[in-house]
Amino acid sequence: MKTIASVALAVFRESVRDRVFYNLVLFAVLLVGASILIGQLTAGQDVKIIKDVGLAATSLFGLFIAIFVGINLVSKEVERRSVYPLFAKPIRRSEFIVGKYLGLLLTLLANMVVMAVALYAVLFFLSRGVPANIQSAWDAPALDPALLKAIALIYVDLALVTAIAVLFSTYSSPMLSAVFTIGIYVAGQFNTDLRRFDQIVSSPAAAAIGRVCYYVLPDFSRFDVKLAVVHGIPVPAAYVLAAAAYAAIYIAALLFGATVIFSRRDFK
Amino acid sequence: MAMLAIRTRDLTKDFPVGFWRPRPYRALDRLTLDVAQGEVFGFLGPNGAGKTTTLKLLMQLVFPSSGEAEILGRPLGDLGVRRRTGYLPENPYFYDHLTAEELLDYYGRLFGMAAADRRKRAASALDRLGVGAERRLQLRKFSKGMLQRVGLAQAVFNEPDVLFLDEPMSGLDPLGRRDVRALMLELRDQGRTIFFSSHILSDAEALCSQVAIVAKGRLAAAGRLADMREFAVHGWELVMAGVPAAALDRVRQRARRVLTIAGDRYAIELASDGRPEEMLRELTATGATLVSLNPLRETLEDVFVKRVEEMGEGARG
Amino acid sequence: MSRALAWAAAALCLGAAIALHAAEDRWIQKPAIDRPELLYVRSPAVARRAALGYQAVAADVYWIRAIQHFGQERLSPPGHVRTYALLHPLLDLTTTLDPYFSIAYRFGAIFLGEQYPDGPGRPDQAIALLQKGLAAQPQKWQYMQDVGFVYYWHLRDFKSAAACFEKAAAMPGAPTWLRPLAAVTLAEGGHRESARELFQQLAQSEEPWLRDSARLRLAQLDAMDTIDALRQRTQAFQRQHPGEPVTWDRVAAAGLLPGVPLDSSGVPFALDPASGDITVARSSKLFPLPGQLQAPR
Repeated sequence: MKTIASVALAVFRESVRDRVFYNLVLFAVLLVGASILIGQLTAGQDVKIIKDVGLAATSLFGLFIAIFVGINLVSKEVERRSVYPLFAKPIRRSEFIVGKYLGLLLTLLANMVVMAVALYAVLFFLSRGVPANIQSAWDAPALDPALLKAIALIYVDLALVTAIAVLFSTYSSPMLSAVFTIGIYVAGQFNTDLRRFDQIVSSPAAAAIGRVCYYVLPDFSRFDVKLAVVHGIPVPAAYVLAAAAYAAIYIAALLFGATVIFSRRDFK
Repeated sequence: MAMLAIRTRDLTKDFPVGFWRPRPYRALDRLTLDVAQGEVFGFLGPNGAGKTTTLKLLMQLVFPSSGEAEILGRPLGDLGVRRRTGYLPENPYFYDHLTAEELLDYYGRLFGMAAADRRKRAASALDRLGVGAERRLQLRKFSKGMLQRVGLAQAVFNEPDVLFLDEPMSGLDPLGRRDVRALMLELRDQGRTIFFSSHILSDAEALCSQVAIVAKGRLAAAGRLADMREFAVHGWELVMAGVPAAALDRVRQRARRVLTIAGDRYAIELASDGRPEEMLRELTATGATLVSLNPLRETLEDVFVKRVEEMGEGARG
Repeated sequence: MSRALAWAAAALCLGAAIALHAAEDRWIQKPAIDRPELLYVRSPAVARRAALGYQAVAADVYWIRAIQHFGQERLSPPGHVRTYALLHPLLDLTTTLDPYFSIAYRFGAIFLGEQYPDGPGRPDQAIALLQKGLAAQPQKWQYMQDVGFVYYWHLRDFKSAAACFEKAAAMPGAPTWLRPLAAVTLAEGGHRESARELFQQLAQSEEPWLRDSARLRLAQLDAMDTIDALRQRTQAFQRQHPGEPVTWDRVAAAGLLPGVPLDSSGVPFALDPASGDITVARSSKLFPLPGQLQAPR
């Protein structure tokens, strides 16, 4: 357990030193810039658009981190051979994988906490001068706590992407890992279309493949409640928990797989 | 009988080579070795002989195709035994963004050392290896020789009973090599076992109680260096300066060969029983000065080539 | 090459590139108004899939473009034919990407049906858009009310309009004035009073553009009432002075009016000297008046 924590903290420290968190500067610039620019353009939709931009940027920036740090987590150490002195120490290969994974999750968590604070701050300033009767007509309040649900599910989404990236990182080069991870993410967005594949293609074999993919590939669309939250449509806590549970089980499967692959691997 | 530090039985490793129809390439073929505790064991061989593969097998970085091995009586893969071993890989690479101090702190955590203990051991190991002054420098800024020293520091700082060193002298200048040699003897005097690989015979001569020679993945010879016929001295080379022409004739009669280096400086090759000390005395009496006196032996490469040929015959037979 | 020279060369080239770009804009006339080819993605279904989880932001982008397009057409120079060709496609894209984007539906409701030159004159598109909104949110009374509005104002189908107001009144959260509005519409559909009712309610909307549009309509209705009153005076003048050209000065001189009557935007009403017809002047903000609305009984 302590070993896993040591590896995780090492990943976090490396993220800091590799300046991963500079993305927050870009995020802040984007949000503030957008909030200044959109005032004239949008016929009163400022708050909604800032929420949209903020949530989208949280998701997108987080995705970049999850993928581009994730695919290197394991492969870089193997390629650079820093695993040689490492595995001479009393650390299991499984502890290494889990520790690396949790370290990136910690990095993402820190990143997202700062983004959430920044988003709420911008929304606060944006809605400050607006009279109450106009505010009551909005779909959702400016400082809507439901935004946290959307952000939480974005985090769950990223945790799953990270697990996929780590799995590929245990045996593929970074380039291939990136391609596969992004491919699975995109396919997962089209998950609902896969289910209705039989209505789109005429061949029953293709439709069957589509159905199998629908069930097996991770369903990323389920973590996307941004639209609902921004329009004040209630998202039940049960939904959030169910989605998180789905992700947790899938992640466990991926990490088990990664551990098995990595444990049998020769470091040539 | 006391527990062996290292014991291997028919340890074998095949690597698949080729993409479409992988054929096995046998990197190590049935290695059987015993290393007693407290020994300094030299694992010698030319590049590509299987030395690094053996070390990686022992450190569980690669998995044996067949055979078995034990370290301090525990099978390979035992986690507890790793607390009592240290490993220096060849051309070590760590983490660019960490300082030397932070690296040892990280490894120390993995050993389960307490914070104060970690700091103390790390500092003393880095000092002992001569990189104490650079302990707060990021590893990306370290030269190859400095990285080698950090590598040794991380191998010894947990005070291991058995040390595995892959080419410990690599990347070091002559001063550095001398330091490392002194360190290894110090460790031996502390009762630790050292298993190191090298392709440089003189290192083995200076340090080892036992050696093993591998070539092309197979064990060619094992035992005490002094007992090995292959490395017996078969001649002497005496280099003298200022030899007067008159003495040269007498020299040519007794020597196997005389080479003119420059002007009045000569390299005189004598047979193993040619008594170089006598010739040295005579020539000194004529006014010549000594430049150097070296024993002549087969190089490791010569021995290997011979042995491999012999082994090749044996295998085919 | 020395470093300073290399940097200078780089700066020079960059400056030349920028100058070329600016010059190109001057030499080649780019069309000032959007053309349909400039829509990026035309098909809503493709856009939704391409957006990959960022539908809300993509919808925002299309919404902004919709408003810009509308504003550009409205403000375009007199020689330009205002087609508003991209308005419906952009609003369709916006609402496909974000089916809950209520302002897009409502904007379409009001302006898609507007006749030239204020809009593309497509009330059918307005209704289709609103039906789409109702498909996503069947209980949103504002959409049903807006369908009623389109039937009432643009299609002059008062029965359907009243039915819509009735349906809207039955939806949760609907305001209390919808049911009476339905009744008035049924009874007085073609008449100014029901129109005034409708626009008075719309003038209290939280959306500023909706408010402004409704207020304009109310001002036009007031102008029509004023015109009726003025007509009585001019007709009286025509009876008193048959065959003479009818102008405001003459009518005022005859003591029938205190002076030249101005509409609420400060522009004098236009009086045709030959026929005696009164309407708002071309230069007035209230031009053109909505036609075919009868005076109250």
